[in-house]
Amino acid sequence: MKPFRARGGRLVARLDRAEAGIVGLLLDQLEQLLDADRADSTGDPVIARLFPAGHRSDAALADDYRDLTEQSLRGGKADDLATVRATLPADGGEVRLDTDQAGAWLRTSNDLRLALGTRLDISEDSEPPEEIVDEGDHQLAVYYWLTALQGSLVDALVAARAGRR
Amino acid sequence: MAGPLAPTRAPETTEEELGDLDRPWVTIVWNDPVNLMTYVTFVLQELFGYDEPTATTLMLQVHHDGRAIVSSGPRERMEHDTSRLHAYGLWASYQRDS
Repeated sequence: MKPFRARGGRLVARLDRAEAGIVGLLLDQLEQLLDADRADSTGDPVIARLFPAGHRSDAALADDYRDLTEQSLRGGKADDLATVRATLPADGGEVRLDTDQAGAWLRTSNDLRLALGTRLDISEDSEPPEEIVDEGDHQLAVYYWLTALQGSLVDALVAARAGRR
Repeated sequence: MAGPLAPTRAPETTEEELGDLDRPWVTIVWNDPVNLMTYVTFVLQELFGYDEPTATTLMLQVHHDGRAIVSSGPRERMEHDTSRLHAYGLWASYQRDS
């Protein structure tokens, strides 16, 4: 991976073929999760993290909030996911984004990290795996790879914003 | 549309915002182990128009104290702010200010 940088008003990174493949697979998994019937995903900690309660102690207000917002939140996530998929070079290569597309990458990569981080029970003390021996190590490595990718996009967007001033 | 020389109109919300002081609802961002500190700061600037030092202070408050109030006002607006934060994956909720 060549991390994101701001270049000529665009946000540009480079992914190799394997990395693009992993992102593609993660997008498929996230999409399945978002498309799943709400009743089937009740109690799924990942769904609970992607759609948190709006109010923590008043169940009626939390229900109101869900009725009011969940559909548009789901729609926004689906739109972002479609944008990321459309701008992801399937066989690897350059990712070149305008500011709106970068926003979609920012939110979707965060959702992927939230989903993986919840499944892997990431805490403040978690660290990247020293070596990869099992599937858990592999997923942890993917999580930290996504962290680096998203972190570079945040930094590039901050740099681009400073450049516009 | 007003031309560039048109006087900047004072926002009409002034009176409403004064009234907001009597409507104690707040939006809170809670600490979580996944969201990057730089990302939280970026999102707070993006959504609320905070300058960088203000957004950083709020982010550090979330990080160290476990939570920070990021906006306050009428309930409907706090619902809206919460949903905008949820769209970015921040762990947010709204409540009556305690």
